[in-house]
Order: sequence, then structure tokens, then C-alpha cells
Amino acid sequence: MFRTLTKATVALVGSIALAACGSSDADTSAGASGDEGGGGGGTIAVITVDPSNPYWKAEVDTAVAEAEKLGYETTVDAHNNDADRQNQFIDGAISKQVDAIILDPAGADESVGAVQKATDAGIPVFLVNAEISEQGIAKSQIVSNNAQGATIGAEAWVEAVGGEGKYVELFGNPTDNNAQVRSDGYAEVLAQYPDLELVQQETANWDRAEGKAKMEIMLRAHPDIVGVVSGNDEMALGAIQALKDAGKLDQVTVLGFDGNPDAAAAVEAGEMVATVLQPIVDGTTLAVQQADAFLTDGETGASTEKQAIDCILITEDNVGQLDNFVMGG
Amino acid sequence: MSDTLAPERETRPAPPPQEPRRRRINLGNVLVEGRALVALAIIVVIFASLSPNYLQPDNLILMTRHVAMNAILAIGMLMVILNGGIDLSVGSTVGLSGVIAGYLLQGWDMPITQLVAYPPVWVVIIGAVALGALVGYVNGLLVSKLNVAPFIATLGMLYVARGIALLITNGETFTALQGEEGLGNTGFVTFLASAPLGIPMPVWFMVVFAVGFSLLLNRTAFGRWLYATGGNERAAELSGVPVKKVQTLVYVMSGFCAATVGLLLTADLPAATPRAGEFYELNAIAAVVIGGAALSGGRGTIRGTLIGAFVIGFLVDGLVLVGVSVFWQQVIKGAVIILAVAVDQLQQSFQKRRALRKVAASTNRPGSPSPA
Amino acid sequence: MTAVTETPTEAAAHEGDVVLRAVDITKTYGVTRALKGVNFDVRRGKVTVLFGENGAGKSTLMKILSGVEQPTGGVLELDGEPVTLASTTDAVDRGIAIIHQELNLCPNLNVRDNIFIGRELRTARGIDYGREAEITRGLMARLEEEISPDTLVADLRLGQQQIVEIARALAADARILIMDEPTSALSSAEVEVLFKVIDDLTASGVAIVYISHHLEEAIEVADHAVVFRDGDLVADRDAEGLTLPWVVSAMVGREADYDFRDASRDYGDVALRIEDVRVVDQEGGGRLAVDGVSLDVREGEIVALYGLMGAGRTELMEALSGREPFATGRALLGDTDLAPYSIQQRIELGIGLVPEDRQRDGLVQLMTVGQNLSLASLLGSVRRGLVSRKHERGGIEDQIRDVRVKTAGPEALITSLSGGNQQKVVIGKMLLTDPRVLLLDEPTRGIDVGAKGEIFSLLFREAARGLAVLYVTSEIGEALSAAHRVVVMSKGRVVREFDPRTCTREEVMAAAGETGADVHHTKEQHRE
Repeated sequence: MFRTLTKATVALVGSIALAACGSSDADTSAGASGDEGGGGGGTIAVITVDPSNPYWKAEVDTAVAEAEKLGYETTVDAHNNDADRQNQFIDGAISKQVDAIILDPAGADESVGAVQKATDAGIPVFLVNAEISEQGIAKSQIVSNNAQGATIGAEAWVEAVGGEGKYVELFGNPTDNNAQVRSDGYAEVLAQYPDLELVQQETANWDRAEGKAKMEIMLRAHPDIVGVVSGNDEMALGAIQALKDAGKLDQVTVLGFDGNPDAAAAVEAGEMVATVLQPIVDGTTLAVQQADAFLTDGETGASTEKQAIDCILITEDNVGQLDNFVMGG
Repeated sequence: MSDTLAPERETRPAPPPQEPRRRRINLGNVLVEGRALVALAIIVVIFASLSPNYLQPDNLILMTRHVAMNAILAIGMLMVILNGGIDLSVGSTVGLSGVIAGYLLQGWDMPITQLVAYPPVWVVIIGAVALGALVGYVNGLLVSKLNVAPFIATLGMLYVARGIALLITNGETFTALQGEEGLGNTGFVTFLASAPLGIPMPVWFMVVFAVGFSLLLNRTAFGRWLYATGGNERAAELSGVPVKKVQTLVYVMSGFCAATVGLLLTADLPAATPRAGEFYELNAIAAVVIGGAALSGGRGTIRGTLIGAFVIGFLVDGLVLVGVSVFWQQVIKGAVIILAVAVDQLQQSFQKRRALRKVAASTNRPGSPSPA
Repeated sequence: MTAVTETPTEAAAHEGDVVLRAVDITKTYGVTRALKGVNFDVRRGKVTVLFGENGAGKSTLMKILSGVEQPTGGVLELDGEPVTLASTTDAVDRGIAIIHQELNLCPNLNVRDNIFIGRELRTARGIDYGREAEITRGLMARLEEEISPDTLVADLRLGQQQIVEIARALAADARILIMDEPTSALSSAEVEVLFKVIDDLTASGVAIVYISHHLEEAIEVADHAVVFRDGDLVADRDAEGLTLPWVVSAMVGREADYDFRDASRDYGDVALRIEDVRVVDQEGGGRLAVDGVSLDVREGEIVALYGLMGAGRTELMEALSGREPFATGRALLGDTDLAPYSIQQRIELGIGLVPEDRQRDGLVQLMTVGQNLSLASLLGSVRRGLVSRKHERGGIEDQIRDVRVKTAGPEALITSLSGGNQQKVVIGKMLLTDPRVLLLDEPTRGIDVGAKGEIFSLLFREAARGLAVLYVTSEIGEALSAAHRVVVMSKGRVVREFDPRTCTREEVMAAAGETGADVHHTKEQHRE
């Protein structure tokens, strides 16, 4: 027996095995919507990394919403940072003769060929979130400034910690370029404080469960730490749980990165001192708008191909405005 | 019953003296498992000497909790491996069952009706575990009925289960798992993440699973059938063993174990994320293999598998505890797995040769010059 | 007990002709001694024929001569020099080629590639396919077979595949050519051609070693005959005076040590009734492996099913056990039609099979003697969901004693037993299920004479208690001395039945088609 709650609370008796289908959430389908935008009518392929991560989910949702607002149909694929699969999706987009590709590339070097192939096939490519190692192929490369983000995050964290004590770092997946960029960004700031000692650096592969397990063990080795800096929010959230279980959250200051909804909640609750929001929504919106402009006028409207958008620091002060990766008014 | 089956047992003469021989054979078995035990002992000694924290009771409990998750997965994996199969889908099943639990706890937005159902915790747990068993059942049917190679069937399920987890959550993480008093669905996290008598719940589960599956393997007909089908499926079939049923059931058990881990992991975080459990299958397989099981089936024990899980867990945590660099951790972990299995193979071929020599020596050879 | 007809001759007179000599060759597989010190010559330009029943050691010797296996003891001399044949390639390089009994072709490759596999004609620019094809066409012309070099072997019928196998051996330009059952799948016209090729080869000085179960055919082609029995070379002679009776008596030698012909014939009701059973040949070709067999076995009766390999006996056994899925006809156990029942259910009903291949189908090698014994009857020991160790152990120990397994104990690994004792365990396993009908497929293959006698006395003891036994054998002596009735199968059919007390070996062997007599005229005598 279990209780139910709706506008009228009803008690249900019986099994859970009711009909488990027939819900009418058609809003997930990428159909054609009203033709209110400028150019419109074509198809934009959105190729992202991993929609199971809320960050990339926001990227996809933004791209699809913006494209449909401008009157495009969309297709969505995810390559999970696998360059081979990215290649297949690019081939698929070429054979489907889409009008433009919005791509979150799988690796700076590995993706050059894929972008070149699409460009050769006459399909303009607009990169979001990460860049490729060559210029002049993609129409635009809109990235968030991870180094700048790490810097502002580290600065906020130092202020809270007080510039003194031992701390540990949770490092992202070592094969991911951003893990290194963010770690370097932290190091650059923190190196200026000689009384801050990095006692251990562990990878937790961006994963919450691993972050928690690694934190639990590190707390054994270094019970006197005052802070944790983490390459992303998921690992930071795992660390926070470990600190909670150990009853040490009030002595340790935790920094995240990404600004995901759970992290926002943690900032709001005072468990995480700050996180860094990548302007993924702004960047993706911009990329789709530039794609639309290019398809209509032949110009992206931006002065350079590479465009770096600064990250935003999320603290207790402004976390209230953050809603699913979007800073509201 | 004819008299072939029911001879007069009471009056039968005492069995020939065979105690010493039996002990010797058991000693051989102990040596095989002992290899993993020796590895574990070496690991403990090394890390204990490197870090005073390592052998502290609190740390041992913590590491055992980490081990427990993998150990439960490995017990399920052992069932499949004893059958000569492999289950690559357990990691995804961990994610799927956790997500289902999270979904039900957050309120089940029932289709068609405008109702949101809040099932009590026990329904959530049973539902999630049943789903894991169902995933295993599908694996089992694919393997036993459609003759899909276990590697392929469960590789496919790895993607399918992960995909369903993503579809259910729409990529998001469920964190509101505490339930509400008013809805009567509290207790999921407090129960599964509790530590009765100071021992964390996952460790209790590991103990219960180990005892239960040991009993299953050693004391039931099913257990014997499993060893027989893994050892020689054709012989088992001709002996009347329902080999297809056994084959299906081992995957159900593996799914059941994986779902249990999914619940424990979800309560531990506490958060239900669709990515949970990624690559867990690899650690589970490693534990089973380090524990002396043969990937070709028919050989392996719960005890060995537990030791295998402890070897991996105590090694990984030990490396973090003493602060070995991240990249070296991976190299060392891989080397230990390879070493453990290589030693196992060497030892087995040695034992086989010795046994053969013994048999050859004990068999009389008509016509050959008798050794004086 | 007849004495060995002739002792191995001193080959001094032919010394100059000997190209290959085996000196005191022994071969042991685990505990089985397949060859017990064999001396044997192969002569230039002559066909040496090897006779012997299954398991006599012929095939083992051939494997050693062709480098497939290495002898446990003894020396091989090639042209008077001791040699070690480490592999088949090694043997081929020294001019020894073999045509295997089991075809060793890759069905996914074409005829040309199969013929040149492992010794491709290489040039600087890769394989010279053109010349390979040319040579292949030449070989096919010689064998009077119109097979294109480009044909996939999988598309050839069995006889043609055997021709390809022969062509492959010819392509090696062997000085010594070993033919192990080369005619088993050939039509009589193809056999004629093969014999013509053999004549050509011997005329040009090639030494041929020839093995065939078809005795008359082999006598026809022989220049010299050698007879093997139980791993020993027991007799040999030249073509002169080589007759069928000589071969048969040398092959069978003495009668078996055991003789159960006078065992009780106190039969009960029909325990197993087989009516018009047909089994499709799994090898394909739409052939029937079992072609309308009908047969009754009564309680307490032991029936030997005698025939050549490929007569359909194993397929019939597997159909009765529930293993063979593509069977029609009826099989009644008492009054119960077995058709709808699985293997497991059939065992419960009271019919079980002791399979032909002990290692592949009979034993779980990783388990102990006790676990193997109780495997089929385990459910009977279950009490409240768990296996009662006491009950299981009781059954195991009784059975170890009853079937006289020589073992250190129930906990000993099954692989620590000799072949005969392993076989007793497989039989004991089925006896523990309390069967009404016991099927055995070649129950004495590869085990020593003593164990054979023990196994049959065990079967006769169980028969006296009412068990119906149907067993397959390829040994004529065994069929005649250890059965109440002998049923002969040939080409999927039951051709004739004999009373072992009144028939002769020659009659039975002729009925099985071993001596070339037309078997079909005896068909009307086949009782329903």
C-alpha cells in the first residue's frame, strides 16, 4: 500500500504494475514549430557530449529550443567524447544534408578532421563549449573561459578559507583537457598563498560516488584539512557527503565547478562555498544565433571565429538567480 | 525404488580409511585460494607499514564498506562466470535500479491519471530489486534461449539499461530521497546508509549475500548443477541437469545483486544518478578472477571471490591513503590483477602435472618393465 | 582363446626397401596406453595395410608417423636415420603426408587454398594463385574429378571433400603417403579411381600406409598386412595368403576374457519399444542417419547394437535419450511415449544414456568422483531445499562399492581415475537414477580388458534385477560374448539380429557390411 498526493489526495491500494505508458510528453520531440525566426525551414544537427550530465543536457536543450524558436528542425546525437562516434555522427549529418552543425567537439586535435569533412561537404560547423586546435575551418568557436573560471573560483575559495591550512584537490578525468585547465587555474591562484598546502591530489573521474569514496580515504590520511577544491560539482558533492558523514563539513570549505542544480542547492545550503557557472546557455544560444545568421546572410556577425565567454562565480549571494544553468534576472 | 538405490545402509561395512588422502586434497584447494589470501596479506602488510592509519578499526570498516559494494556485485558475477558466461551489464543495472528507486521516492507521476504515487520504502526496494532481476532475466533468455553469446547479450544490455536510466531521469540526478513523514515514504536513506552495531549496512548485506550464496552453491541441487554446467555442459545435460534453466537463473541472480548495489550506492551518496555504476562490471570481474575462478566456468568459490574483492578494495584505498600518484595507482592495480591470475594459472598447470604423474605412477602397466 | 597367428617377421629380406621404421614405439595418454612398444616397417613402392578394431592403436601410430603427435617412447628411423617429427609440417618436409580419417579442410576456403594451405607457392609479389590453380586442376584430372579450384569446400559433398583431402596429400609429393580410412565417404567408382592412383604411386616408388574398416577392400589393395590389437602389433604377412579369415581371426584374437552368453534369460515385459525411428543426419545432405529403426528390449535383457562407424547407432541412442532433436517415430518406455519429454524427464521416467565420449559428454572434469556420481540423482537427496549430505553420501558410497570404482574416496577428483574407473563412475551415475532402461554407447572404448569384464558383469547383474540394457559396440568379440541378443545396424537400418550362442563372427561382420557382402538381401530377416 502506498499513498498518493495530487490536488485531491487519493489512497491507492494495490500493485505498482499499472499501465506504465501513455504519458503525453511530446515536448521532448524535435519537431518543427512555428516559423517565427529569420531564415528557418532547415535542419540543424546538434552533436553533444553526454546528455546524462545536466550540464550538457542544458547545452542540448538550449540548442534545440533556440533552433526551434528560429524555425529549424533539429537532430541530437551524443558522442561521449569518443572521436570515432563523433565522426559517424558527422557522416550521418552530411548524408542527411543538414544545413548546419552545432558541435561540442570530442577533443581539440581529434575533431579537426571531422569539422573539416563537414565544412568540405558545404555544411557550416559552429563549435560550442570546447575548441579545436585549428582555426579557419569552423565558422565560429564559442568557448567558456575555463581558466578564468578556475581563477575566480579559487579566489572566492581562498577568501573563505583564509589563506592558511592544508587542502586536497579532486581532479577530473585525466584524459579530459578541461581537468588540467581547471587544475592549473586553481594552482595559479593558490600558489600565491604559501601557507596553503596541497596535501593530496586524487582523480575521481568527474564522478560523485568516486568523489565520495576518495574523500573518505583522504580524510583518514589528512584529518586536519580545511578545504577541498574540485574539478567539477559532482565530485565536490561526493566530497561534501563524505565530510557530512565524518562530521567535518563545518571545518572544511568546498569549491565546485559547473554550477549544476545540485551544486546550486549546496551553495544555497552553505555546504559549498562557491561554484563556477560556465555560460553554456549563453554560448549555445549565441552559436545557434550565429548559425542562423550565417545561413541567412552568409555572415556569423561575430568579429572573430574564436569567442571566449567569461564564467560566472556562483556564491550564496547570487545563487538564487541560478536556475538550471541559466542566470535569471 | 529398486534395490540398486536403496541398499541396506545400516549394515554396510565401514568405508575404507581415507581420511589422510581427503585432507591432502583439501589442502590443495586451500592453496589455490590461499594465493589470493597471500596477496591480501602482502597488501595489508605493505600499507600498514606505510601508513599508521591503515589498520585503524575505523579505516578498516571504511575500506570494508567500499569493498562491500564490489563484493556483492562480484558474488552475482561469480554465478554467471561459474556458468561459463560473463555479465557486462551489472554496472548499468546498478545505475538503473538506483534511478528507479530515486524516481519512486520522488513521487511516481503515474501515466494517464493525474496522480503522483508515493510508494513506501519497502515497495521501492522490492520494485528496484525486481527490476534488476528482470534485466538479468532478459540477459538469461538471450543467452539460453536465443544462444546469443553472453559477452554480446550483456554488452547490449549494458547500453539498454543505461539508456533506460537516462530516459527515466531525463539525464538528471534525483536528490530528494529522504521522503516525507506525511507521505509515509521515509527511511530509505536512513535504513540503507545506517550502521547497526557500528557496521555499515553494505557490509551487512555483503555478509548476508555471501552466506546465502555460499549455501546456494554448496548445499543445494542448483549449486551443484551450476558447477556441473560450467564444468561440462554436455555431460550435465545428459545427466538430466536443466542446463537452460540454470543458465537463465544465474543472470537473474547477477541482476538481483547489481540492483541491490544500486540501492546501497544511491542511499550512500545520497543521490540517484543515471551514471552511477559505470565500469563497475570490470572491478567485479577482476574480483572473481583474482578469487581463483575460471572464466571458462565450473571453478570458483564465494570465499575466493570475497578475498578477490578485498584485494582490489584494500589495494585501491591503500594507494589513496598513502598518496601514490593517480597514474601509478592504475598501473599498480592492473599489475596486481594480472599477477594474481598468472600465478593462478601457473599453479594449476603445476598441480595438474603433479596429479597426472601420481596417477601414472599408481596405475599398473601390464607389459612394461616394472620399476624395481 | 586362440593364439596369435604369426609373430612379427624379421624384415631382413626387405631391408633395402624400408624407408620408414618405427622401433619400439610407445604412446601413453594420461593413464591409457595406446601403443605398447610397436615395431613396424614402411616399404618403398608397397602398400602396407593396417588392420585392427577401434582402439587397437592404428590411428595413434598414424598420428605419430605423420608428426601430429610425438611418441612417449621409441624411435622413428627415416632411411635408417633416427628422426624427430615435431609437427605435420616437419613430416611433410621429410616427404610424409597423411590423409586423415576426419577431414581436415577449411570449409570457408576454396579447393585451391585448401590444397596449398601451409605451403603456399610464394613469389616476391605474394602467392602465385595462378600456378596453384593449375596444379590443382592437374590433381583433379588425375583423380578424375571435375572440381574447379575455385569451388568452396563447403559446397562439395563429403566424397568430393575426401578427394580434395587426397589431392592435398598428393600435392605434397610425398614419398610416404598415409591413408586413414580414405574411402569411407567415396562411391565405388571413386574407390576404383583411388586404387588406380595408388597403383600409379607405388609404381613410382611411393610407400603407402593404408587403413580401412572395409576389410575386403583393404585386402585387395594390400602388398603387406599388419594387424594391431590392444596397442600391440600382433601379426603381419605379405599379400600372398592374405585372406579374410586370417585377418578377422588376427584382429579379434582370443575371445574376450568374459563370456556371458549363458547368463540368465529370464526376461520380463517389453521395457523399451522403438517403432520406426528416423533421425536426420546433422551433417546435412538431407540424409537420414537413422532410417526407420524398430526394436524391442525386454526387462532383464541385454542387447548389443553392432555396426560400423556411421551406421547410425549413436544417433539412435541420442534420440532415445532426448538429446537428438530431429527425430520422428515412436519410442515407448513401458506404456509411456517418450516424445514430449526432456532429457531430465526421461531420466526421471527411467531411461538414461551413458554416452560414447566419456570426456566430452560423460564427466564433469572439475568435480570429484562423488559429485559426478550423484549428479543425475541429486534431486532425490534434497530435503527441505538443501541437499542432504548424508543421503547423498550414502548413495555415492554404495555406488562406489557396487560398481567397484577404484578411488581414494568420493572426494578424489574424477580426473585422478583411470579410464575404466571413470567409465564405471558414468555408469554408476545413471544407475543411481534407478533406471528401467540403460543405454550405453561404446561403454568399453579405451579401457583395459579387466575393466571391460567388470563393466559387463555389472550390467548382467543389474539385468538379473530387471534392468533392460541396450548398448552400442564396434567390437565383434564383445558383441558376441556379452549380450543376450545382437542387433546389427548398417546405414541407418537394422539389417539383422543374431543369437550370440549360435552365430559366427563372420556372419555378424558380413551383416554389418564389413566384409563387402551385400547386406540388403538379409533385410527381410529383420524382425519387427
